Amino acid sequence: MIEITNLDKYYGSHHVLKGINLSIQKGEVVVIIGPSGSGKSTLLRCMNYLEPIQSGQIMIENEPIGMIEHNGKQREMPQKNLNKMREKVGMVFQNFNLFPHLSVRDNITLSPLTLGKMNKNTANKTAYSLLAKVGLADRATAFPDQLSGGQKQRVAIARALAMKPHVMLFDEPTSALDPELIGEVLDAMKELAKEGMTMIVVTHEMGFAKEMADRVVVMDQGQIIEAGTPGVIFTNPAQERTKVFLHKVLTHS
Amino acid sequence: MALDFGILWQDGNLPLLLQGLWVTIRMTFLALILSCFIGLVIGLGSMSKVKWISGISATYLAWFRGTPLLVQLMLLYYGLAISLHIDFSASVAGVLGLGMYSGAYVSEIVRGAIQSIDRGQMEAGRSLGLSHWQTMFKVILPQAIRRMLPPLANEFIALTKNSSLLSVITVAELMRAANTIVADNYKYFEIYLTIAIFYFVVNFVISTLIKILERKLNVEGVRS
Repeated sequence: MIEITNLDKYYGSHHVLKGINLSIQKGEVVVIIGPSGSGKSTLLRCMNYLEPIQSGQIMIENEPIGMIEHNGKQREMPQKNLNKMREKVGMVFQNFNLFPHLSVRDNITLSPLTLGKMNKNTANKTAYSLLAKVGLADRATAFPDQLSGGQKQRVAIARALAMKPHVMLFDEPTSALDPELIGEVLDAMKELAKEGMTMIVVTHEMGFAKEMADRVVVMDQGQIIEAGTPGVIFTNPAQERTKVFLHKVLTHS
Repeated sequence: MALDFGILWQDGNLPLLLQGLWVTIRMTFLALILSCFIGLVIGLGSMSKVKWISGISATYLAWFRGTPLLVQLMLLYYGLAISLHIDFSASVAGVLGLGMYSGAYVSEIVRGAIQSIDRGQMEAGRSLGLSHWQTMFKVILPQAIRRMLPPLANEFIALTKNSSLLSVITVAELMRAANTIVADNYKYFEIYLTIAIFYFVVNFVISTLIKILERKLNVEGVRS
């Protein structure tokens, strides 16, 4: 489903991702954890090319995203192809990034309508059914600033789903939320996971990782230091750095 | 000596001033539309990743902001006609001159407003499969326009006042009408005070209209 090989990324001279290799199967829920600054959000953002990469390759359903080979040289793919690839990849941001000038419904229908994926009728119906799914059927005509953080994030999930993505990326989806609102967002994500959606989640919610992850990937200093089932990672990690990190996050939660 | 506003009702002075006012309003309005168009193009251009486009935009801004409007008008109307035989009528030169000058300032307003919109908005649009320009026109600009309104009110008011300079390139606008009248009767204070009030009223209307527009856009959604 997603195949990342020898991925390197620099911010100027700062080497933020170092030779990342990661393979994700269809229907898999992968949770990426690690200390802040370890590159986990950056890795996630590379997967829909919101962050350009310097070398290596990311394949989604056997097609490259971002960089392609052209006459033996790596170059950025045409924007048209990039947009097409991004349709397959839904993304949920830490700060929601809802469009404040549009109603909840129009946030969801904007992309399908603009890209001619659906007619107005179908798009609206889709929006209402997605909103029902995340428990917000009654907020379709509200504007984003009339919603709580948890509601905003659920709308953002519905908005991403409207494009019928094949994989969903979650970039710290609960980090900007008040503690009492985290549950409702995690529930929506669990629902999605149960339906078989391929999900890659960067989070500090270790409870979610334990319960929902098929695989937990641990990152530190721009590298994947280990990966395994939550059972192994949380009870018997191989790496000392993983132990230190887990000790820090688990003793305080 | 006493002021004599009765002069307005003599020699057809008031109709002449009102005619001038109408020319001022018309010229300013056309220049305003031109400046918005130029401002949008140059403003977007200045943010382009394509070097020659951002280069042209930066040069445009530097030139039209860095030279006096009066000099620009002289070049456009007299300079081009006499040296290069490009002969604009006074009103065409006037609208072009005002519009191009003001467009430089509008471009900075456009750029500032767009750059003030959170980067996450563009990222969200792109992550949904929208192109850069689709996101720009459907997501970024609708939010940016609201932020442009207060500085645009300033710019449009400046534009109205600057239109008085068109008198030197023979456009029969309000200032020139006043000059014509005082050359006859020396009633400087009465006539210039009258046109000052005319300018003031036009600008008051502009700022009120923009305030109404701001409020309307507020009600329609964005409260960020």
